[in-house]
Amino acid sequence: MAGIPIVNRIREKRFFADEMTQQALADKVGVTRQTIMAIEKGKYSPSLEVAFKMAEVFECHLEDIFQYQPE
Amino acid sequence: MDMSFKEKSHWISLVSTVCIFGYYFYNIVMLEGVPAEEAKDVAKTLLLQAIVLSILVEAVLHGMLAATNHKAAEMGADERDKLFEYRGNQVGYTILVLGVVITLGRIITLEYNPELSNFYPSRQIPLLTAHILMFSFILSEVARFSVTLFNYRRGY
Repeated sequence: MAGIPIVNRIREKRFFADEMTQQALADKVGVTRQTIMAIEKGKYSPSLEVAFKMAEVFECHLEDIFQYQPE
Repeated sequence: MDMSFKEKSHWISLVSTVCIFGYYFYNIVMLEGVPAEEAKDVAKTLLLQAIVLSILVEAVLHGMLAATNHKAAEMGADERDKLFEYRGNQVGYTILVLGVVITLGRIITLEYNPELSNFYPSRQIPLLTAHILMFSFILSEVARFSVTLFNYRRGY
């Protein structure tokens, strides 16, 4: 979305998690692959629940995946 | 085109609704000028046909879609799907309410001014009030599916 002030490092995190596919991540956090794609592209901000699930999957803090960057 | 299960499902609903009810409304409009009693029977048959066909087509196509993708069908809508559906519902509901208000206004106006009905050439269409309500409902459904699909295509 034009103006979402949140950037993410999901792609990088997936790469370092044995090149986890978008589908595998989607299955683990309970969303569709298209939603993961939209989040990675910065078009969609996930709910807190999904964000925390991602942090759990990648075994890191939420801030390691998502950063708030106001313009 | 990369589409989620829910997006495909909305495409099926949009295309089937537009085709079936487009054909239905085209035939209803064509009834103008047909003798009232005959037109009433035809209109009733057309409505029943459209409803039954709509249910059948949706059931068969959605069944086929679910059969080709068990996992996605069982998962249902995720949070992004629900957000897009919510946006679509907002627009669809507004159109439906407008249709109901217009129909109520028409009924009340004609009740207090029966002479006005003589100026309506469209009054020759039998069950006109029912058709206006039906049209509002179908229009609201089409708007709902279209807005939801627009959001899917836009991506956010």
